[in-house]
Amino acid sequence: MSKGVDVNLENVWIRFGEFVAVREANVTIKGGEFFSFLGPSGCGKTTILRAVSGFLEPSDGTVKIGGKNMAGIGPNKRPTALIFQNLALFPLMKVWENITFSLEVKGVGKADRRKRADELLDMIALSDQADKLPSELSGGQKQRVAIARALCAEPDVLLLDEPLSALDLKLRQHMRTELREIQQRVGITFIYITHDQGEALTMSDKVAVMRAGVIDQIANGHSIYNDPATPFVASFVGENNVFRGKIKSVDGDMALIATNRSGDLLARIATSAKGTLKVGDPAMMFVRPEVCNIAEDPAPAHNRLTAMVKHEEFEGQIYNVFLEGSEGKEIKMSLVNIGQRRQSADGRSLTLEYVPEQAVVLPAGELASE
Amino acid sequence: MNIVPIFKNYFAKNGIGLGSFILVTVTIWVVLLIILPQISMLDFSFRHHLPPPEMGGPKDTYTLEHYKYLVLGAPGSDASYNVVDLGVFARTLLAAFFVTIIDLILCYPLAYYLGQSKGGGLVRVLVLLLIIPYWINEILRAFAFRIIFGDSGVINEFMLAMGLISDPIDFIRANVALYAGLGYAYILLMIFPIYNVIESLDRNQIEAARDMGAPWWRIHWRVVIPYAKPGISSGCTMVFMLSAGALAAPQILGGPSSLWFTQIIYQWFNTGGNWPRGAAFAVILLVTCIVIVLSMMRLFKVRIGDIGK
Amino acid sequence: MKGENFLVKFFLVAYLVVFFGYLLGPLFVMSVTAFNSPAFPKMAPWECLTFEWFDVLANDERILNGIQNSVIVGIGTVILSVVMGLAGALLLTEIWPRLRATYYTIVIAPILIPGVVLGISTLVFWDRINIMLGLSSGSFLHNGIFLTVIGQSTFIASYCMLVFIARLQRYDTGLTEAALDLGATNVQAFRKVLLPFMKPAIGSAAVLAFLASFENYNTTTFTFGKFPTLTIELAQKVRYGINPSISSLAFIIIVLTIIGALAHEIYRRRQQLALANGAPVSAVTGKFQLPKFLRRNPASILLVLLALAGFSTIWFAQVYSPTECKMEVREQKRLIQEERINAIRQKRLEQQQEKLLKGPDVFGGSKTAPAPGTGKTIESPGKGTFGSVFNPGNLDKAAPAPSPNKPLESPGKGTFGNVFDPNNLEKSGSENK
Repeated sequence: MSKGVDVNLENVWIRFGEFVAVREANVTIKGGEFFSFLGPSGCGKTTILRAVSGFLEPSDGTVKIGGKNMAGIGPNKRPTALIFQNLALFPLMKVWENITFSLEVKGVGKADRRKRADELLDMIALSDQADKLPSELSGGQKQRVAIARALCAEPDVLLLDEPLSALDLKLRQHMRTELREIQQRVGITFIYITHDQGEALTMSDKVAVMRAGVIDQIANGHSIYNDPATPFVASFVGENNVFRGKIKSVDGDMALIATNRSGDLLARIATSAKGTLKVGDPAMMFVRPEVCNIAEDPAPAHNRLTAMVKHEEFEGQIYNVFLEGSEGKEIKMSLVNIGQRRQSADGRSLTLEYVPEQAVVLPAGELASE
Repeated sequence: MNIVPIFKNYFAKNGIGLGSFILVTVTIWVVLLIILPQISMLDFSFRHHLPPPEMGGPKDTYTLEHYKYLVLGAPGSDASYNVVDLGVFARTLLAAFFVTIIDLILCYPLAYYLGQSKGGGLVRVLVLLLIIPYWINEILRAFAFRIIFGDSGVINEFMLAMGLISDPIDFIRANVALYAGLGYAYILLMIFPIYNVIESLDRNQIEAARDMGAPWWRIHWRVVIPYAKPGISSGCTMVFMLSAGALAAPQILGGPSSLWFTQIIYQWFNTGGNWPRGAAFAVILLVTCIVIVLSMMRLFKVRIGDIGK
Repeated sequence: MKGENFLVKFFLVAYLVVFFGYLLGPLFVMSVTAFNSPAFPKMAPWECLTFEWFDVLANDERILNGIQNSVIVGIGTVILSVVMGLAGALLLTEIWPRLRATYYTIVIAPILIPGVVLGISTLVFWDRINIMLGLSSGSFLHNGIFLTVIGQSTFIASYCMLVFIARLQRYDTGLTEAALDLGATNVQAFRKVLLPFMKPAIGSAAVLAFLASFENYNTTTFTFGKFPTLTIELAQKVRYGINPSISSLAFIIIVLTIIGALAHEIYRRRQQLALANGAPVSAVTGKFQLPKFLRRNPASILLVLLALAGFSTIWFAQVYSPTECKMEVREQKRLIQEERINAIRQKRLEQQQEKLLKGPDVFGGSKTAPAPGTGKTIESPGKGTFGSVFNPGNLDKAAPAPSPNKPLESPGKGTFGNVFDPNNLEKSGSENK
């Protein structure tokens, strides 16, 4: 298998008439990386993928694969293979013919193709399905055939357009692991498109979070989750309690925010906002539910809030506690289930606290809509 | 409005070879087979009737004589209008109109029945029975009607044998055979557009109307027919156009005294030998049909895209 | 409520009977006339069962030549219209949205333009091209086959296009993209992915185009030149002189159509059945399981019966000779004529005698009395023997009739009941010899 190659997007703009689908995208994807574009539907992530695969020419800027400018090179000449959202398996070809289609168009003989198909079918554990039609396979099997078909073309870059979205939850989780394994085995660059943050975080080396044609942040999963670059990223990836307010004071990495409804709270300034936040700036503070805890000491502090329990949900490994702070501010808290039976606390008032370093503050901005 | 990127995009998507093949083929069809012949016929209809050597010569000028002929008759004739040809023209359109109405009345119930029944064996058999007659040559179908309606045809022989009549009735002269044959020829074109539309009508709508106590005719008038309108007008358009433009059935089934307008055109081309005049008459037929169809579509608010579904 | 329901049902059935009577009656009548002996196609006074019209048809040079021309024109039209229709449909998906409505109107217009107009415009246009190019009047542009193919394809391509558009609407363009992405060229993607998908539509478009071409009259009548197609020949025959050989051609076409329709129905049902059972497609197209399949499929039973009927008819046609019957009919006709002549003679005689005797009441009774009596004796054997062609008893009844001196055992029930008696066949066979 060929070693993966770099993919660079340099100042890429894509317009459809008046509409700007992608705005000034600058992305560097290293060879052999599992790179995800994460964003809500309509954010332009599929458009970027189509620009990389060659179905679309960027209006401005360049797409480079392996350092080579791809302008004017059609999809059939690029070292990429795309796995379509609906898989696009050829309905009238048998499974093995589907898989070796890329060889067929190169004029490889039937016997050689069959041999290669058997190897790949072996890899995806579908050896006995070679002579079936795609319509006779289950969803997960089709998925694997699509992957095998793309890999058979021996691409330097594999592009995946939400390939797991049609599968049920269990299969989806299983396929995540399988995809990651395949990627590590073949060692080529994977570019993965998804709106499911779980998929992006579990599989990817790096994630680009997109919003309305703009890339908000490119980082590894850990940074995306713990150190979001924009309010959008903070609210789109995982759950977050948002506190709006103004910066009251800045002290090194930490800032004190005068929130609108919950008093003054302390939080760490996000890496992307370092040095830019000044006293008086409108700001947003994000505290994740699992960072919150019930305070032993009810004395007021800049990392404590009082709130009333509205109801609880038991989810297995965690309890979700929904609280109402002052002036109706809704707060969610997640507590780890440590095997002790909890007393139902509905209607009770309690004090919760968080570690200030685990909360982030960002300049006020757009949130992800629910 | 830049054309260049559209073409660039088109060729990028389809490739040079395939893209130009499609484009060239469609161009040949549209330009060489559809548009140019019609224009050429239009042009030809404005020319004098000349022997071939004089074509393109000094005498080959534009003229309205053929159109004048249709309206005013031959120069020097006593009648101020060409009563014969205009009469045939009007009668053709009127007859085509009646054939359309007859077909609609005849076909609507069946189309409704087929469209609303839940499918199954009987419907498939009926559809098959509907289609089978249309695999048989148009001429042979007309011929069958001649056997039935002729002087010694089935009906006359039967009625003679029963003693209902003493002399054979001349159905051919009375044009009964012609209308029966024309109606027969286009049944399928009426049924299928209506059937296709009614098939997609939600049965619950009818049941809801029935629930509210609507009598059957009101259900049809208020629910089914408005819904089926695209199908009905598409069927009517096709039947009208084809009956007005029919040639075989009038030639075979038409009475000696009643001509069809297409037959006059045919005569100018064959026995009459005056091509420009035939072309002029054909232009008149074409334009009239287009006008009628367009106004029908305007009247019933149906788009061209609904035709041919 | 119940009564109303019954009424509705009654009207529905009556309507269906009338409708399908109108639809199928003419075909039935025409088919029957193919087997009747009069030289003008007639059903009503059944004279003799005959197969001679098939012979006449098979020896009709013009019909055969017409069929040949029709097939040539048909093939040309199928090729041209399928290609143009496919290209037209493909372009429709590509075309700039603002132009789409205009484009669609133009390519759909030939369906609505009267066929006569299409024929004329084709003729006029190519004639002018011919003059413009300075070619002789014998050039290929004047060739009837070329003009007919062009003229017919103009509108048949539109029909084909409609078929293709319907199919293309169910095509996932992602498949073409997938093929391109896997390294196929545009042509390869077209040939290996789109074309196989369009194959069923191409098949039905081709059949449709061939049938439309085969039966076209309005356009062809202006363009055929020296190559009259079957339809043209038929029209000439029907207009200028009819004999039942045309009925026999119709009969052949009807039978072929029914066989084709049934075969298609069987094929469709088998596929549906297989899909319903969840069997893989490869198993469906495999072996032919007769008994099980017969039980489930009335269409196939019909087909088998039809084939049996066809074979027995052919066999019967070779054994049976209508000459005796014809002789008899001729004899009867002669008798009628004689009768008439006698009547006229008698009338004259009467008149003469009237003149002579001036007593009109003597021969008054004898003038009218014999006529109905002879008429009755002539008519009854004809009707009785041949009136019901498709009566199962007909086969053996037809045979003894020509020899009236042989006693007919029991014309009604007796023969009817013995249809399946093996002796019966033998008997009628030997009597025919």
